[in-house]
Amino acid sequence: MHAVIIDIHAHPGYGRDLATLREEFTPAVRAAERCGVRWICLNAIADWSESPRPKAVREGNDAVLSFMAEYPDRVLGFCYVNPRYPAQALKEIDRCVVGEGMAGIKLWVACNASDRRVDAIARRAAQLGVPILQHAWYVRRGGLKGESVPADVAAMAKRHPKTMIVMAHLTGAGERGLKDIAPYPNLHVDISGGEPEAGMVELAVKLLGAKRVLFGTDTPIRSYGATLGKVLEAKLTRGERELILFGNARRLLRRRLGR
Amino acid sequence: MTRIDASAFLGRWPFRPIEGTVAKLKAMMRVNGLEQAVVSSFEGPFYADPEPANEELLRKISGRKGLWAAPTLNLRIADWREQMERLAGNPQVRAVLVAPTFHGYEVSACEEAARVAASHELALIVQVRLEDERHLSPILELPAASVKEIVSVAASAPKARIVVSAARLTEVLEAGRAGPRPALKNLWFGMSHFDGLDCIQRACQAVGARRLLFSTSWPFFYAKSGVLKVEEAEIAVPSRGAIFGDNARRAFALR
Repeated sequence: MHAVIIDIHAHPGYGRDLATLREEFTPAVRAAERCGVRWICLNAIADWSESPRPKAVREGNDAVLSFMAEYPDRVLGFCYVNPRYPAQALKEIDRCVVGEGMAGIKLWVACNASDRRVDAIARRAAQLGVPILQHAWYVRRGGLKGESVPADVAAMAKRHPKTMIVMAHLTGAGERGLKDIAPYPNLHVDISGGEPEAGMVELAVKLLGAKRVLFGTDTPIRSYGATLGKVLEAKLTRGERELILFGNARRLLRRRLGR
Repeated sequence: MTRIDASAFLGRWPFRPIEGTVAKLKAMMRVNGLEQAVVSSFEGPFYADPEPANEELLRKISGRKGLWAAPTLNLRIADWREQMERLAGNPQVRAVLVAPTFHGYEVSACEEAARVAASHELALIVQVRLEDERHLSPILELPAASVKEIVSVAASAPKARIVVSAARLTEVLEAGRAGPRPALKNLWFGMSHFDGLDCIQRACQAVGARRLLFSTSWPFFYAKSGVLKVEEAEIAVPSRGAIFGDNARRAFALR
Protein backbone atom coordinates (compact mmCIF):
# COMPACT_ATOMS: atom_id res chain seq x y z
CA MET A 1 0.00 0.00 0.00
CA HIS A 2 1.32 3.47 -0.90
CA ALA A 3 1.92 5.23 2.40
CA VAL A 4 -0.18 8.39 2.59
CA ILE A 5 -2.12 8.07 5.84
CA ILE A 6 -1.45 10.38 8.78
CA ASP A 7 -1.97 9.03 12.30
CA ILE A 8 -2.76 12.14 14.34
CA HIS A 9 -2.69 10.34 17.69
CA ALA A 10 0.06 7.94 18.76
CA HIS A 11 2.22 7.30 21.81
CA PRO A 12 5.66 5.71 21.78
CA GLY A 13 4.75 3.25 24.54
CA TYR A 14 4.19 2.77 28.23
CA GLY A 15 7.87 2.79 29.20
CA ARG A 16 9.48 5.31 31.53
CA ASP A 17 12.87 5.48 29.83
CA LEU A 18 14.02 5.96 26.26
CA ALA A 19 15.42 2.44 25.86
CA THR A 20 12.11 0.84 26.84
CA LEU A 21 10.16 3.28 24.70
CA ARG A 22 12.39 2.51 21.73
CA GLU A 23 11.76 -1.21 22.22
CA GLU A 24 8.02 -0.53 22.24
CA PHE A 25 7.96 2.00 19.40
CA THR A 26 9.96 0.03 16.83
CA PRO A 27 7.13 -2.49 16.19
CA ALA A 28 4.68 0.41 15.97
CA VAL A 29 6.66 1.87 13.09
CA ARG A 30 6.59 -1.52 11.34
CA ALA A 31 2.83 -1.85 11.91
CA ALA A 32 2.27 1.66 10.56
CA GLU A 33 4.25 0.80 7.42
CA ARG A 34 2.22 -2.37 6.88
CA CYS A 35 -0.98 -0.31 7.04
CA GLY A 36 0.15 2.47 4.72
CA VAL A 37 0.69 5.10 7.41
CA ARG A 38 3.11 7.79 6.22
CA TRP A 39 3.29 10.05 9.29
CA ILE A 40 2.91 9.17 12.96
CA CYS A 41 2.07 12.14 15.19
CA LEU A 42 3.72 11.10 18.41
CA ASN A 43 3.12 12.40 21.90
CA ALA A 44 4.54 11.05 25.13
CA ILE A 45 2.38 11.74 28.16
CA ALA A 46 5.39 12.13 30.45
CA ASP A 47 5.29 9.36 33.05
CA TRP A 48 1.56 8.65 32.44
CA SER A 49 0.71 10.29 35.76
CA GLU A 50 -2.39 12.45 35.60
CA SER A 51 -0.55 15.68 36.46
CA PRO A 52 3.15 15.16 35.75
CA ARG A 53 5.81 17.51 37.09
CA PRO A 54 7.83 19.64 34.66
CA LYS A 55 10.84 17.33 34.77
CA ALA A 56 8.77 14.34 33.67
CA VAL A 57 7.10 16.46 30.97
CA ARG A 58 10.49 17.46 29.56
CA GLU A 59 11.75 13.86 29.62
CA GLY A 60 8.69 12.65 27.73
CA ASN A 61 9.10 15.35 25.10
CA ASP A 62 12.82 14.57 24.88
CA ALA A 63 11.88 10.99 24.00
CA VAL A 64 9.63 12.26 21.20
CA LEU A 65 12.44 14.50 19.94
CA SER A 66 14.69 11.43 19.84
CA PHE A 67 12.17 9.57 17.71
CA MET A 68 11.79 12.60 15.42
CA ALA A 69 15.56 12.50 14.89
CA GLU A 70 15.56 8.73 14.41
CA TYR A 71 12.60 8.69 12.00
CA PRO A 72 12.67 12.12 10.29
CA ASP A 73 10.41 10.94 7.46
CA ARG A 74 7.96 9.11 9.68
CA VAL A 75 7.49 10.90 13.03
CA LEU A 76 5.92 14.28 13.75
CA GLY A 77 6.18 15.34 17.38
CA PHE A 78 3.35 16.68 19.50
CA CYS A 79 4.50 18.53 22.61
CA TYR A 80 2.76 17.31 25.77
CA VAL A 81 2.30 20.03 28.40
CA ASN A 82 0.66 20.28 31.82
CA PRO A 83 -1.48 23.46 32.15
CA ARG A 84 -1.13 23.30 35.95
CA TYR A 85 2.41 24.61 35.38
CA PRO A 86 1.56 27.47 32.99
CA ALA A 87 4.97 29.11 32.76
CA GLN A 88 6.72 25.78 32.17
CA ALA A 89 4.07 24.80 29.63
CA LEU A 90 4.70 27.89 27.49
CA LYS A 91 8.45 27.46 27.85
CA GLU A 92 8.17 23.82 26.78
CA ILE A 93 6.06 24.79 23.75
CA ASP A 94 8.74 27.30 22.73
CA ARG A 95 11.46 24.69 23.21
CA CYS A 96 9.72 21.86 21.35
CA VAL A 97 7.47 23.53 18.76
CA VAL A 98 9.38 26.73 17.95
CA GLY A 99 12.86 25.39 18.62
CA GLU A 100 12.66 21.76 17.57
CA GLY A 101 9.88 21.75 15.00
CA MET A 102 7.21 19.75 16.74
CA ALA A 103 3.93 19.85 14.84
CA GLY A 104 1.35 20.22 17.60
CA ILE A 105 0.49 20.29 21.29
CA LYS A 106 -1.04 17.51 23.38
CA LEU A 107 -3.26 17.96 26.45
CA TRP A 108 -4.47 14.99 28.46
CA VAL A 109 -6.15 14.94 31.89
CA ALA A 110 -3.97 17.17 34.06
CA CYS A 111 -6.46 19.99 33.67
CA ASN A 112 -10.00 20.10 32.38
CA ALA A 113 -10.25 21.62 28.89
CA SER A 114 -12.70 24.26 30.14
CA ASP A 115 -10.21 25.42 32.81
CA ARG A 116 -8.86 28.96 32.28
CA ARG A 117 -5.32 27.68 32.78
CA VAL A 118 -5.59 26.20 29.28
CA ASP A 119 -6.18 29.65 27.74
CA ALA A 120 -2.55 30.73 27.43
CA ILE A 121 -1.66 27.45 25.74
CA ALA A 122 -4.59 27.74 23.32
CA ARG A 123 -3.58 31.30 22.43
CA ARG A 124 0.03 30.24 21.84
CA ALA A 125 -1.11 27.37 19.61
CA ALA A 126 -3.12 29.83 17.50
CA GLN A 127 -0.13 32.19 17.22
CA LEU A 128 2.09 29.31 16.10
CA GLY A 129 -0.53 27.82 13.77
CA VAL A 130 -0.33 24.34 15.30
CA PRO A 131 -3.21 22.15 16.48
CA ILE A 132 -3.95 21.05 20.02
CA LEU A 133 -4.86 17.39 20.49
CA GLN A 134 -7.14 17.30 23.56
CA HIS A 135 -8.25 14.09 25.27
CA ALA A 136 -11.96 13.73 26.03
CA TRP A 137 -14.35 10.89 26.86
CA TYR A 138 -17.89 10.52 28.11
CA VAL A 139 -17.05 7.91 30.72
CA ARG A 140 -20.19 6.64 32.43
CA ARG A 141 -18.25 4.83 35.16
CA GLY A 142 -14.96 5.78 36.73
CA GLY A 143 -12.96 8.36 34.82
CA LEU A 144 -9.94 10.43 35.83
CA LYS A 145 -10.06 13.52 38.04
CA GLY A 146 -9.24 16.17 35.45
CA GLU A 147 -10.72 14.30 32.51
CA SER A 148 -12.63 16.40 30.01
CA VAL A 149 -15.91 15.52 28.39
CA PRO A 150 -16.67 16.80 24.88
CA ALA A 151 -18.71 19.71 26.28
CA ASP A 152 -15.55 20.92 28.07
CA VAL A 153 -13.61 20.83 24.81
CA ALA A 154 -16.47 22.70 23.14
CA ALA A 155 -16.13 25.43 25.78
CA MET A 156 -12.42 25.67 25.01
CA ALA A 157 -13.08 25.87 21.26
CA LYS A 158 -15.70 28.59 21.78
CA ARG A 159 -13.23 30.75 23.74
CA HIS A 160 -10.47 30.18 21.16
CA PRO A 161 -12.06 30.21 17.70
CA LYS A 162 -8.68 30.73 16.00
CA THR A 163 -7.11 27.68 17.64
CA MET A 164 -7.24 24.40 15.72
CA ILE A 165 -8.33 21.70 18.16
CA VAL A 166 -8.60 17.95 17.63
CA MET A 167 -10.70 16.22 20.25
CA ALA A 168 -9.48 12.67 20.75
CA HIS A 169 -11.59 9.51 20.84
CA LEU A 170 -14.69 9.45 18.64
CA THR A 171 -16.11 6.31 20.28
CA GLY A 172 -15.61 7.85 23.73
CA ALA A 173 -17.49 10.96 22.61
CA GLY A 174 -20.43 9.11 21.13
CA GLU A 175 -23.37 10.86 19.51
CA ARG A 176 -23.83 13.21 22.49
CA GLY A 177 -20.23 14.36 22.30
CA LEU A 178 -20.40 14.96 18.57
CA LYS A 179 -23.46 17.14 19.06
CA ASP A 180 -21.62 19.08 21.79
CA ILE A 181 -18.75 20.00 19.47
CA ALA A 182 -20.67 20.38 16.21
CA PRO A 183 -21.20 24.19 16.49
CA TYR A 184 -17.46 24.96 16.56
CA PRO A 185 -15.76 24.70 13.15
CA ASN A 186 -12.26 24.92 14.68
CA LEU A 187 -12.95 21.72 16.61
CA HIS A 188 -12.33 18.32 15.03
CA VAL A 189 -12.51 14.75 16.27
CA ASP A 190 -10.08 11.87 15.84
CA ILE A 191 -11.30 8.30 15.55
CA SER A 192 -8.66 6.92 17.91
CA GLY A 193 -9.27 4.83 20.98
CA GLY A 194 -12.29 2.81 21.93
CA GLU A 195 -13.58 -0.29 20.29
CA PRO A 196 -14.45 -0.23 16.58
CA GLU A 197 -18.15 0.36 17.14
CA ALA A 198 -19.94 0.29 13.82
CA GLY A 199 -21.57 3.42 12.47
CA MET A 200 -19.54 5.90 14.53
CA VAL A 201 -17.42 7.20 11.65
CA GLU A 202 -20.50 7.74 9.48
CA LEU A 203 -22.18 9.53 12.39
CA ALA A 204 -19.18 11.83 12.83
CA VAL A 205 -19.24 12.70 9.13
CA LYS A 206 -22.97 13.32 9.27
CA LEU A 207 -22.82 15.61 12.32
CA LEU A 208 -19.49 17.41 11.72
CA GLY A 209 -18.75 16.97 8.03
CA ALA A 210 -15.87 14.90 6.67
CA LYS A 211 -13.47 17.87 6.95
CA ARG A 212 -13.57 17.65 10.73
CA VAL A 213 -12.82 13.94 11.21
CA LEU A 214 -9.24 12.65 11.41
CA PHE A 215 -7.60 9.23 11.44
CA GLY A 216 -5.77 8.44 14.69
CA THR A 217 -5.01 5.20 16.47
CA ASP A 218 -3.88 5.84 20.05
CA THR A 219 -1.26 3.15 19.44
CA PRO A 220 0.03 1.19 21.34
CA ILE A 221 -3.30 1.11 23.21
CA ARG A 222 -5.13 0.36 19.95
CA SER A 223 -3.96 -1.32 16.77
CA TYR A 224 -3.50 0.04 13.27
CA GLY A 225 -5.60 -2.72 11.75
CA ALA A 226 -8.63 -2.20 13.99
CA THR A 227 -8.57 1.57 13.48
CA LEU A 228 -8.03 1.47 9.76
CA GLY A 229 -10.95 -0.96 9.51
CA LYS A 230 -13.25 1.72 10.91
CA VAL A 231 -12.56 4.02 7.96
CA LEU A 232 -12.40 1.36 5.26
CA GLU A 233 -15.74 -0.20 6.19
CA ALA A 234 -17.61 3.03 6.92
CA LYS A 235 -20.07 4.01 4.20
CA LEU A 236 -18.20 7.02 2.83
CA THR A 237 -17.29 8.46 -0.52
CA ARG A 238 -13.68 8.14 -1.65
CA GLY A 239 -13.22 11.86 -1.11
CA GLU A 240 -14.53 11.67 2.47
CA ARG A 241 -12.28 8.70 3.20
CA GLU A 242 -9.22 10.56 1.90
CA LEU A 243 -10.02 13.62 3.98
CA ILE A 244 -10.20 11.45 7.10
CA LEU A 245 -7.10 9.38 6.38
CA PHE A 246 -4.79 12.25 5.42
CA GLY A 247 -6.40 15.34 3.86
CA ASN A 248 -7.59 16.99 7.05
CA ALA A 249 -4.38 16.24 8.92
CA ARG A 250 -2.32 17.75 6.12
CA ARG A 251 -4.41 20.90 6.43
CA LEU A 252 -3.99 21.11 10.21
CA LEU A 253 -0.28 20.29 10.03
CA ARG A 254 0.50 22.63 7.14
CA ARG A 255 2.95 24.62 9.29
CA ARG A 256 5.11 21.49 9.47
CA LEU A 257 4.24 19.64 6.25
CA GLY A 258 3.76 22.64 3.94
CA ARG A 259 0.78 23.12 1.68
CA MET B 1 -7.80 -19.68 2.90
CA THR B 2 -11.27 -20.24 4.38
CA ARG B 3 -12.56 -17.44 6.54
CA ILE B 4 -15.10 -18.18 9.26
CA ASP B 5 -16.52 -15.56 11.60
CA ALA B 6 -16.83 -17.18 15.04
CA SER B 7 -19.07 -14.45 16.45
CA ALA B 8 -21.68 -12.42 14.60
CA PHE B 9 -25.16 -11.36 15.69
CA LEU B 10 -28.60 -10.89 14.21
CA GLY B 11 -31.29 -8.71 15.73
CA ARG B 12 -31.38 -5.28 17.35
CA TRP B 13 -28.86 -3.80 19.74
CA PRO B 14 -30.93 -2.18 22.49
CA PHE B 15 -28.85 0.94 23.15
CA ARG B 16 -28.06 2.32 19.67
CA PRO B 17 -29.78 1.96 16.32
CA ILE B 18 -27.79 -1.08 15.17
CA GLU B 19 -29.52 -4.01 13.53
CA GLY B 20 -28.10 -7.20 12.07
CA THR B 21 -30.15 -8.72 9.28
CA VAL B 22 -29.35 -11.76 7.17
CA ALA B 23 -29.06 -9.61 4.06
CA LYS B 24 -26.58 -7.24 5.74
CA LEU B 25 -24.66 -10.17 7.20
CA LYS B 26 -24.34 -11.84 3.82
CA ALA B 27 -23.17 -8.55 2.30
CA MET B 28 -20.58 -8.10 5.05
CA MET B 29 -19.35 -11.66 4.52
CA ARG B 30 -19.09 -11.15 0.77
CA VAL B 31 -17.11 -7.91 1.13
CA ASN B 32 -14.68 -9.45 3.60
CA GLY B 33 -14.31 -12.82 1.92
CA LEU B 34 -15.98 -14.77 4.72
CA GLU B 35 -17.48 -18.10 3.74
CA GLN B 36 -19.15 -19.05 7.01
CA ALA B 37 -20.31 -17.40 10.23
CA VAL B 38 -21.50 -18.58 13.63
CA VAL B 39 -24.43 -16.36 14.49
CA SER B 40 -26.18 -15.57 17.77
CA SER B 41 -29.07 -13.33 18.70
CA PHE B 42 -28.42 -9.81 19.98
CA GLU B 43 -31.58 -10.12 22.06
CA GLY B 44 -30.66 -13.48 23.59
CA PRO B 45 -28.46 -12.20 26.46
CA PHE B 46 -31.02 -9.49 27.28
CA TYR B 47 -34.08 -11.78 27.44
CA ALA B 48 -34.64 -13.59 30.74
CA ASP B 49 -35.92 -16.48 28.65
CA PRO B 50 -33.96 -16.39 25.39
CA GLU B 51 -36.12 -19.03 23.69
CA PRO B 52 -38.16 -16.54 21.58
CA ALA B 53 -34.92 -14.88 20.47
CA ASN B 54 -33.52 -18.28 19.49
CA GLU B 55 -36.63 -19.20 17.55
CA GLU B 56 -36.33 -15.94 15.61
CA LEU B 57 -32.63 -16.55 14.97
CA LEU B 58 -33.21 -20.08 13.69
CA ARG B 59 -36.10 -18.95 11.50
CA LYS B 60 -33.95 -16.23 9.93
CA ILE B 61 -30.98 -18.44 9.07
CA SER B 62 -32.89 -21.61 8.25
CA GLY B 63 -31.41 -23.22 5.16
CA ARG B 64 -28.95 -20.36 4.59
CA LYS B 65 -25.68 -21.80 3.37
CA GLY B 66 -22.64 -20.91 5.46
CA LEU B 67 -24.61 -19.68 8.47
CA TRP B 68 -24.47 -21.65 11.71
CA ALA B 69 -26.42 -20.87 14.86
CA ALA B 70 -25.25 -20.42 18.42
CA PRO B 71 -28.53 -19.86 20.29
CA THR B 72 -28.48 -18.42 23.80
CA LEU B 73 -29.25 -20.38 26.97
CA ASN B 74 -30.00 -18.94 30.40
CA LEU B 75 -28.70 -21.49 32.90
CA ARG B 76 -31.02 -20.10 35.57
CA ILE B 77 -34.01 -21.42 33.66
CA ALA B 78 -34.96 -24.81 35.03
CA ASP B 79 -35.31 -26.59 31.70
CA TRP B 80 -32.13 -25.35 30.02
CA ARG B 81 -31.03 -28.96 29.51
CA GLU B 82 -34.21 -29.73 27.59
CA GLN B 83 -33.82 -26.51 25.60
CA MET B 84 -30.27 -27.54 24.70
CA GLU B 85 -31.43 -31.00 23.65
CA ARG B 86 -34.08 -29.50 21.37
CA LEU B 87 -31.56 -27.07 19.87
CA ALA B 88 -29.10 -29.89 19.24
CA GLY B 89 -31.68 -31.50 16.97
CA ASN B 90 -31.31 -28.64 14.50
CA PRO B 91 -28.43 -29.35 12.09
CA GLN B 92 -27.55 -25.66 11.81
CA VAL B 93 -26.92 -25.37 15.55
CA ARG B 94 -23.24 -25.90 16.24
CA ALA B 95 -22.93 -24.22 19.63
CA VAL B 96 -24.88 -22.65 22.44
CA LEU B 97 -24.01 -19.28 23.91
CA VAL B 98 -24.14 -18.56 27.62
CA ALA B 99 -23.78 -15.08 29.12
CA PRO B 100 -23.27 -15.54 32.88
CA THR B 101 -23.09 -11.88 33.84
CA PHE B 102 -26.12 -10.97 31.74
CA HIS B 103 -28.27 -13.68 33.27
CA GLY B 104 -26.84 -13.43 36.76
CA TYR B 105 -25.03 -16.65 37.65
CA GLU B 106 -21.48 -17.68 38.41
CA VAL B 107 -19.14 -18.70 35.61
CA SER B 108 -18.60 -22.00 37.45
CA ALA B 109 -22.21 -22.93 36.56
CA CYS B 110 -21.01 -23.22 32.95
CA GLU B 111 -19.15 -26.43 33.85
CA GLU B 112 -22.34 -28.49 33.84
CA ALA B 113 -23.50 -26.75 30.66
CA ALA B 114 -20.16 -27.59 29.03
CA ARG B 115 -20.61 -31.29 29.83
CA VAL B 116 -24.17 -31.36 28.54
CA ALA B 117 -23.13 -29.47 25.39
CA ALA B 118 -20.36 -32.01 24.82
CA SER B 119 -22.86 -34.85 25.12
CA HIS B 120 -24.82 -33.22 22.27
CA GLU B 121 -21.62 -32.52 20.28
CA LEU B 122 -22.14 -28.78 20.62
CA ALA B 123 -19.53 -26.19 21.51
CA LEU B 124 -20.17 -23.85 24.42
CA ILE B 125 -19.56 -20.14 23.81
CA VAL B 126 -19.08 -18.12 26.98
CA GLN B 127 -19.78 -14.44 26.30
CA VAL B 128 -17.48 -12.29 28.41
CA ARG B 129 -19.11 -8.98 27.45
CA LEU B 130 -20.78 -7.24 24.56
CA GLU B 131 -19.98 -3.56 25.18
CA ASP B 132 -17.06 -1.59 26.61
CA GLU B 133 -18.00 -1.32 30.29
CA ARG B 134 -17.24 2.42 30.27
CA HIS B 135 -20.15 2.96 27.87
CA LEU B 136 -22.77 0.80 29.53
CA SER B 137 -26.16 2.33 30.12
CA PRO B 138 -26.43 3.72 33.67
CA ILE B 139 -29.26 1.25 34.28
CA LEU B 140 -26.90 -1.71 33.82
CA GLU B 141 -24.44 -3.17 36.31
CA LEU B 142 -22.81 -5.66 34.02
CA PRO B 143 -19.30 -6.76 34.85
CA ALA B 144 -17.29 -8.80 32.39
CA ALA B 145 -17.24 -12.55 33.00
CA SER B 146 -13.95 -13.77 34.44
CA VAL B 147 -11.71 -15.29 31.77
CA LYS B 148 -9.69 -17.02 34.47
CA GLU B 149 -12.85 -18.81 35.65
CA ILE B 150 -13.77 -19.80 32.11
CA VAL B 151 -10.31 -21.34 31.71
CA SER B 152 -10.97 -23.32 34.91
CA VAL B 153 -14.29 -24.53 33.48
CA ALA B 154 -12.48 -25.76 30.36
CA ALA B 155 -9.90 -27.53 32.50
CA SER B 156 -12.68 -29.25 34.47
CA ALA B 157 -14.60 -30.35 31.38
CA PRO B 158 -11.91 -31.66 29.02
CA LYS B 159 -14.38 -33.30 26.63
CA ALA B 160 -16.22 -30.05 26.03
CA ARG B 161 -15.28 -27.53 23.34
CA ILE B 162 -15.34 -24.08 24.89
CA VAL B 163 -15.06 -20.73 23.13
CA VAL B 164 -14.32 -17.56 25.08
CA SER B 165 -16.05 -14.73 23.24
CA ALA B 166 -15.27 -11.00 23.51
CA ALA B 167 -12.45 -11.23 26.03
CA ARG B 168 -9.77 -8.56 25.91
CA LEU B 169 -6.23 -9.69 25.28
CA THR B 170 -5.17 -8.33 28.68
CA GLU B 171 -7.71 -10.63 30.33
CA VAL B 172 -6.37 -13.64 28.45
CA LEU B 173 -2.80 -12.75 29.44
CA GLU B 174 -3.82 -12.23 33.07
CA ALA B 175 -5.66 -15.56 33.11
CA GLY B 176 -2.49 -17.21 31.89
CA ARG B 177 -0.42 -15.59 34.60
CA ALA B 178 -2.92 -16.33 37.38
CA GLY B 179 -3.64 -19.98 36.73
CA PRO B 180 -3.18 -22.80 34.27
CA ARG B 181 -1.82 -21.61 30.93
CA PRO B 182 -4.94 -20.95 28.86
CA ALA B 183 -3.74 -23.17 26.04
CA LEU B 184 -5.99 -26.14 26.77
CA LYS B 185 -6.82 -28.14 23.68
CA ASN B 186 -10.56 -27.78 24.27
CA LEU B 187 -10.42 -23.98 24.63
CA TRP B 188 -10.49 -21.25 21.97
CA PHE B 189 -10.53 -17.46 22.17
CA GLY B 190 -12.44 -15.18 19.79
CA MET B 191 -10.32 -12.16 18.91
CA SER B 192 -13.01 -9.57 18.21
CA HIS B 193 -12.20 -7.57 21.35
CA PHE B 194 -8.41 -8.02 21.19
CA ASP B 195 -6.76 -4.69 20.50
CA GLY B 196 -3.50 -2.85 20.97
CA LEU B 197 -0.31 -2.84 18.98
CA ASP B 198 0.51 -6.30 17.62
CA CYS B 199 -2.38 -7.83 19.56
CA ILE B 200 -2.61 -10.91 17.36
CA GLN B 201 1.12 -11.63 17.56
CA ARG B 202 0.98 -11.26 21.33
CA ALA B 203 -2.05 -13.55 21.54
CA CYS B 204 -0.24 -16.15 19.43
CA GLN B 205 2.73 -15.98 21.79
CA ALA B 206 0.47 -16.29 24.84
CA VAL B 207 -1.85 -19.13 23.86
CA GLY B 208 -0.71 -20.29 20.43
CA ALA B 209 -2.27 -19.56 17.04
CA ARG B 210 -4.29 -22.79 17.17
CA ARG B 211 -6.32 -21.45 20.07
CA LEU B 212 -7.47 -18.24 18.34
CA LEU B 213 -10.64 -17.73 16.33
CA PHE B 214 -11.30 -14.92 13.88
CA SER B 215 -14.42 -13.13 15.13
CA THR B 216 -16.00 -9.78 14.38
CA SER B 217 -18.83 -9.09 16.87
CA TRP B 218 -20.58 -7.70 13.79
CA PRO B 219 -22.83 -5.66 13.54
CA PHE B 220 -21.74 -4.06 16.80
CA PHE B 221 -18.19 -3.68 15.46
CA TYR B 222 -16.93 -2.88 11.99
CA ALA B 223 -16.05 -6.33 10.61
CA LYS B 224 -13.14 -4.88 8.63
CA SER B 225 -11.40 -4.02 11.90
CA GLY B 226 -11.26 -7.70 12.78
CA VAL B 227 -10.14 -8.68 9.29
CA LEU B 228 -7.31 -6.15 9.23
CA LYS B 229 -6.08 -7.12 12.69
CA VAL B 230 -5.36 -10.62 11.37
CA GLU B 231 -4.23 -9.54 7.90
CA GLU B 232 -1.68 -7.02 9.20
CA ALA B 233 -0.32 -9.29 11.95
CA GLU B 234 3.30 -10.37 11.55
CA ILE B 235 2.56 -14.09 11.84
CA ALA B 236 3.29 -17.11 9.68
CA VAL B 237 0.89 -17.95 6.85
CA PRO B 238 -0.24 -21.24 8.49
CA SER B 239 -1.02 -19.33 11.68
CA ARG B 240 -3.10 -16.85 9.73
CA GLY B 241 -4.98 -19.69 8.08
CA ALA B 242 -5.57 -21.34 11.44
CA ILE B 243 -6.99 -18.15 12.93
CA PHE B 244 -9.13 -17.25 9.93
CA GLY B 245 -10.82 -20.61 9.60
CA ASP B 246 -9.10 -23.89 10.40
CA ASN B 247 -9.49 -23.49 14.16
CA ALA B 248 -13.17 -22.64 13.85
CA ARG B 249 -13.75 -25.86 11.92
CA ARG B 250 -12.46 -27.78 14.93
CA ALA B 251 -14.07 -25.62 17.60
CA PHE B 252 -17.53 -25.83 16.00
CA ALA B 253 -17.13 -29.16 14.18
CA LEU B 254 -17.93 -27.49 10.86
CA ARG B 255 -17.76 -29.14 7.50
